[in-house]
Amino acid sequence: MTYIAVAMAGFAAVWMIALGKEGVVIAKLRAPVGAWVALWGALAFVAAFAFDRWWQSSYGLAAGIWHPPQIAKALAFFTIAFGAWWCVPRWGGGVVVAQIGVVSMAQGFANRQHDAFFYLLACGTYPLVLAGAAVSGGGRFPATRAALVGMGVHLAAVWLLPLVPGVPETGPIYNPRDHLLPPPFPPLIVLPALAFDWLLAARKYSDWRSAGEAGFAFFAVFAVAQWRFAEFLLLPMADNWFFAGGGKQWPFFLRISDEMRTAFWPGEILDIKNAILAVALAAASSRIGLWIGAWLNRIAR
Amino acid sequence: MKLLIFILLLAAQCARAHIGSPNVFFDGKAGPHAVRVIIRPPAAIPGVAQIDIRTAVADVKVRAVLLSAVDEAAVPPITATPVEGELSNAALWLSHAGNYDIRVTVGSDEIHIPLRAASLVRPVMPAGLGATLAIAGVLLVLAAARIAGAAARESTLAPSAAPTIRDRQRGIRVARATLALLAAATYAGTVRWQKMDSDFRNNALTKPLPVEATIRTQDERHFLTLTQPRDADVTWASLVTDHGKLMHLFLIESGGGRAFAHLHPVRRDYRTFEGVLPSLPAGDYTIYGEVTHETGNSDTVVGSIKLPAPLGSAPQTDWTMANEVWCLSPPAAAGNAAAPGALDPDDSWHVGPASTTRNAPLMGGGKILLQTPGEFIADRDTLLRFTIVTAGGESVPLQTYMGMAGHCVIRREDGSVFTHLHPSGSISMAAQQILTPEKSPAAMVQPAGNEITFPYAFPQPGNYRAWVQVRTAGRVLTGVFDLRVAR
Repeated sequence: MTYIAVAMAGFAAVWMIALGKEGVVIAKLRAPVGAWVALWGALAFVAAFAFDRWWQSSYGLAAGIWHPPQIAKALAFFTIAFGAWWCVPRWGGGVVVAQIGVVSMAQGFANRQHDAFFYLLACGTYPLVLAGAAVSGGGRFPATRAALVGMGVHLAAVWLLPLVPGVPETGPIYNPRDHLLPPPFPPLIVLPALAFDWLLAARKYSDWRSAGEAGFAFFAVFAVAQWRFAEFLLLPMADNWFFAGGGKQWPFFLRISDEMRTAFWPGEILDIKNAILAVALAAASSRIGLWIGAWLNRIAR
Repeated sequence: MKLLIFILLLAAQCARAHIGSPNVFFDGKAGPHAVRVIIRPPAAIPGVAQIDIRTAVADVKVRAVLLSAVDEAAVPPITATPVEGELSNAALWLSHAGNYDIRVTVGSDEIHIPLRAASLVRPVMPAGLGATLAIAGVLLVLAAARIAGAAARESTLAPSAAPTIRDRQRGIRVARATLALLAAATYAGTVRWQKMDSDFRNNALTKPLPVEATIRTQDERHFLTLTQPRDADVTWASLVTDHGKLMHLFLIESGGGRAFAHLHPVRRDYRTFEGVLPSLPAGDYTIYGEVTHETGNSDTVVGSIKLPAPLGSAPQTDWTMANEVWCLSPPAAAGNAAAPGALDPDDSWHVGPASTTRNAPLMGGGKILLQTPGEFIADRDTLLRFTIVTAGGESVPLQTYMGMAGHCVIRREDGSVFTHLHPSGSISMAAQQILTPEKSPAAMVQPAGNEITFPYAFPQPGNYRAWVQVRTAGRVLTGVFDLRVAR
């Protein structure tokens, strides 16, 4: 699936370059800037993939995770997502939202959603896209649209993957499965996205102040909503195809006690210090998003 | 000599129980069925272990059980795919580093083969791939700078407008900033790679364990003392006996020398083994010690020692005598050494040249004949077959030597391969017994007549020396062969 997506992005970019109607000129070829960026991402992915293949066969997992080629692959994928966003500002922000969700999926288990790190990570990433989309996406509720597209991609995985039969072929199998594992239910990004649309649609203040407000709003809305929602996701009520929760969906290789399946795992406490840091991160990433949004509004090629 | 050991420690690509010879061999019986198994473990974990099984029974299943996990968590057995004749093959995914019990089910009978899955090889990127990736990386960085520069220069201009000098200068500034950013990212990636590689080599990569060897002289005898380094991660506190011995120690004279000893020192404490030395010629020796822990882990420790001239009542021989074979052992008796100063009854040592033909002389005038036909090819399933005859060619009946029909030690000329084989294969009998406590291993059989076989596959081409040890008429005899293994 990943390779098909990268190939499609690469071919779409090449096709846009081949059309050569208008855009940024590189080596006498014309294409929209997003097409160039997506093409670069696709080529970088191929190189990172070759590097990663060698790494996996040489180090396996013994050297640790987030090894250099894995980081390079993630960066390449983000570049493709950004290229798609800049080609199609109306909808493309959702691709970046979905990509953030994929990369941070290991942190996305409901059991980790009372951990400060989960909120710091979300505050440092999502506002960038939501703020950018809010000021450049056009139409009504552009940030909400991006959030819904991103969540929609994840929800499709949550609902469709468990329909595909599959059994693990290597032991130890601590959690037997006969169908693919659904990813955790996506974070409720749509709620702070609504706040962004409300706050950023008609800005009265400078971008810096707007970013500060947006950052605070993101943290306040997201933390309150997700904190409660995480509690719900661990209840037996959430053990169904829609939410894929209730502490029932685990990778086969994860050794986990019965208590820890439905408990919040120990982590860093979301105290006032971490809350301030989260707001600062959300404000900073909103500010970058506003820059990107402003630039997207001015893009003419 | 220290340099040699250092190089050996660095260069050996090994499973811990043997050096440079990670494949596992088993030759024995599952119930009434004769079975021969070769397991080729993956170089990195997770990875696929290739398992070749030779047996007359058609129904063969294989299963990998990680010992640190509960049995119920193991994957169901997979059916081996017939290859040709009696040979079938199975590929097993090993996802965790650690000790596995590879269960091979032949018909309704099962055998257990211990396997230690670990990272075996220090990664080295092939030059072609490295060059390709480096060129791709440079091109990608330049392309990124070009795209960023072009975007900054003209992305906001009307389609028909030409960039001004200011636009161009902005483009150049952004291109340079992109170059600097990607150069910093590449540097950070390189630093991370080096850190991960260093952690991998220190913590995950399987290495032979170093041991400090010293000589102590007392009562006209030389004692060899082996001490674990203080930073050793596993002590010798919880060893189990393999063929009744806590340690099998091999001394091999350096530089293609003629002396070889198979000794069984006594454990003094959790970090020290000690044993009296037989009369070996003075010189530099490489030491290989094999131990099995109660977890089923087998380790090979390596070291070096400079032996002084022998003392006391041991035979004082002119060791420079060419083409003479001296193969000695104390009078046969059961059990371990009764006194610290005495040799173990199963200790044996040998001084003599290696045979470059298929016929090696034994002390007392007998001969040991290598019967395996054809040339030896690296990584090919090989059954080393030997027969023992008198000078007149008559068959010599064999006795068991430490519960085995015989022992075979194989070492590559440069020390990069060292392994200790039995007719039942390369696995530690103690480790196998841990996996099958309800019965003694099926592989421990009485020698049949004057023939002995060892299953093996030479891991790489080159010059090897094989020491084949058998017991006959109460005496341990060693035949030595130099073997050439082709690619």
